[in-house]
Amino acid sequence: MNSDKPLTGIRVIEHASGVAAAHAGRLFCLLGAETIMVEATGHSPLRQEPPFIDQEGSSSALFAYLAAGKRSTICDLTATAGKLAFDHLLATADILIDDTPVADRAALGLSPAQIAKNHPHLVHLSVLPFGAIGPKAGWKGTELNLIHAGGEGYLLPNGLSADLFPDRPPLKIAGHFAQMQGGVAAAYAGLAALWTDQGQFVDASVQDANVMVGAFGIQRFGDGSVEHRQTRSFRYGGVIECRDGFVELLMLEERQWQGLITLMGSPDWAHDPEFESVLGRSARGDEINRHIRAWARGWAVENLVARAQEQGVPMARYNEPAHILTGAHETERGIFLDVETENGTMVKVQSLPCRFCAQSLPIDGAVPRPGADQHLLEFGASDKRIGG
Amino acid sequence: MKPLAGIRIADFTVHAAGPFCTHMLSQLGAECIKIETALRPDIFRKSHAIYGRAGPATFDQVSSNKLSVRLNLKHPDGVALAKRLVAISDIAAESFRAGVMARLGLSYKDLRAVRDDIIMVSVSSSGQTGPDSHFAGYAPLFGAWGGLGHLSGHADGPPVEMRHVMDHSVGLHAAMATAAALHQRRRTGKGCHVDVAAREVASSLVGDALTAASAGAQPERMGNDDLRHAPHGLYATKDDDRWLSIAVENDAEWRVFAELIGRADLATDARFALETTRHSNRKALDPIITNWSRTKVGEQAAAQLQQAGIAAHLSWTAADIVSDPHMRLRDAIIDVAETNGTIRAAVGRPYRFSSDPSLGITGGTPEFGGAEDYVFGDLLGLTRPEIDALIDAKAIY
Repeated sequence: MNSDKPLTGIRVIEHASGVAAAHAGRLFCLLGAETIMVEATGHSPLRQEPPFIDQEGSSSALFAYLAAGKRSTICDLTATAGKLAFDHLLATADILIDDTPVADRAALGLSPAQIAKNHPHLVHLSVLPFGAIGPKAGWKGTELNLIHAGGEGYLLPNGLSADLFPDRPPLKIAGHFAQMQGGVAAAYAGLAALWTDQGQFVDASVQDANVMVGAFGIQRFGDGSVEHRQTRSFRYGGVIECRDGFVELLMLEERQWQGLITLMGSPDWAHDPEFESVLGRSARGDEINRHIRAWARGWAVENLVARAQEQGVPMARYNEPAHILTGAHETERGIFLDVETENGTMVKVQSLPCRFCAQSLPIDGAVPRPGADQHLLEFGASDKRIGG
Repeated sequence: MKPLAGIRIADFTVHAAGPFCTHMLSQLGAECIKIETALRPDIFRKSHAIYGRAGPATFDQVSSNKLSVRLNLKHPDGVALAKRLVAISDIAAESFRAGVMARLGLSYKDLRAVRDDIIMVSVSSSGQTGPDSHFAGYAPLFGAWGGLGHLSGHADGPPVEMRHVMDHSVGLHAAMATAAALHQRRRTGKGCHVDVAAREVASSLVGDALTAASAGAQPERMGNDDLRHAPHGLYATKDDDRWLSIAVENDAEWRVFAELIGRADLATDARFALETTRHSNRKALDPIITNWSRTKVGEQAAAQLQQAGIAAHLSWTAADIVSDPHMRLRDAIIDVAETNGTIRAAVGRPYRFSSDPSLGITGGTPEFGGAEDYVFGDLLGLTRPEIDALIDAKAIY
């Protein structure tokens, strides 16, 4: 157990059924907070969510990713004994994460007023699709709904995909992007609240978090223009197909454009006087991309990216999972850690995407079985903290 | 009082991800001093013709609240002044390529020499270490490196490039990590160097797929599909380019949904009655649902579905968001007054604190070098002649 992480000594209670709240808990956990899941008697529904580690669907990769290193208790908050045990646990905690729908909170003793009365020291971090107040506070929101409620969904796909399929509906980002934005925003807010040394209710909204990271579109609107997925493509560059995969190419500065010309062997077309300015190039972006695409098809991705970066041309391979799991860069930085799942399988789980003084933070512990740390709900047992 | 009131940031960040990090910190009350130079202006202050527009990108949003000073970091007196600024700051944030700060004489070691408990936050494409740490990159490249781009897109199409949400997600992660480092400093008395790698943020956002792949699964692009649920997609409505997202999460919801769209017969149709078969036959569902949805006004249909307990929301444009009473009530969208009196919509805090109801943005876009009297004079104690001499020497430039 690493006892010197940024949040060592902090205890977080996580009562979560969705990705956003569980992701906030994951971040706290990996940062060193002792993070105790309080699962309902039917266990966290995230344990049943795909993708799965095994073909039988008995072990969720999503849950493994979100819960590795956490502790698990099972507690029936509809029963008096469960409420008492939960209250005792909360008395020892610094932060409570909860994503119970607003309408169900009071019955479980989880309303802001109830928590504030019984645990005034606590940062009560509510994480809901549309927040805890406002006309939509009771609305349901899955990943698909939330990426679209936040504005980014409407703007996707862009670039090559939008060119190829102009009549298809907008597109979500892979996985749980929107909910994870909600999770990281909530974790940040929770830490800021804790910084004040003042117990309080924090109302985090996944929709708001996605509008926040999509702030560009809001600013553009304020400037008098509305973005659309079929017009916000880069005028040249973007997704480029090579012999054995795709690369991304983006040049924002003149020296990068000059680097590309050098990389391409200084072809005649690139010396058209109109291409000397960004505006001139942008006006004939389609023509430039025809040249780039024809040229790139002859290249292997790995060689091309290496040569491009040597020339200071921003280019990256569209990495597939295997590239990332075994990549030299990722391996040297040690970002993937071996973790044991609840049924004993070893899998790779990414650590935090940030380091503290050159340390890639380890994941302390396995994916917990349901109720693996049930003793924490026994009176007295929970008073002792890990690393506290 | 704002949660981070009393925290000061010496902000060397440029472009999108780094400034978004300090923007998130400033929205919660940290005093953020943005260090700029005419030698190489932040390209996000400039127009971006490659995007097909004349104006700057996100600069107004992410620079709001900030205090701008000029410093020429290629001049020794500029570097010396930067160090004096760091010495009175809690956080030094930067987003140059790995190694640039060291070449400027502003490495973590250099900054620790002037303030031992400084928290230095470095935001870069690939991190401060590793064979690719020198790589240049922007948001679409972060997404490409991290697998998020490869896994996004239609099943029969190419990868999708990530845009500013990627940058801003990196900045949000960096702000969260910085807050954690503050807690660590409070507990231990020690600062640290926080190294945020944008490509690792991107891969962390598909971390579940990578974990599955490590066990032998082969995650692929799947458009708007879900691995389990159906129907799950975007459906045309009565109005042009207005799309309704619908996600039915279980069999009970399916029965309600079938009745709501006037097709109660589908609830017992063997192709669709159970989640597993419904998912297998999901392509057959799409035209059926579209037959219903394209007769509906999107917002009304979304409300109707929500009333019935089914997750639905219209695919919103910026205009929808800016005018939404829910967002306005939450102060997630606020109006900001620029120095020239122009009022524009901006994005406020995506969370609310019971102890602090104040707005996240209280000042508009800073004028280039507009806070030098306060920063160099009041905070660092330089006299007017001293400041003028540094300006003449182009150390303040």
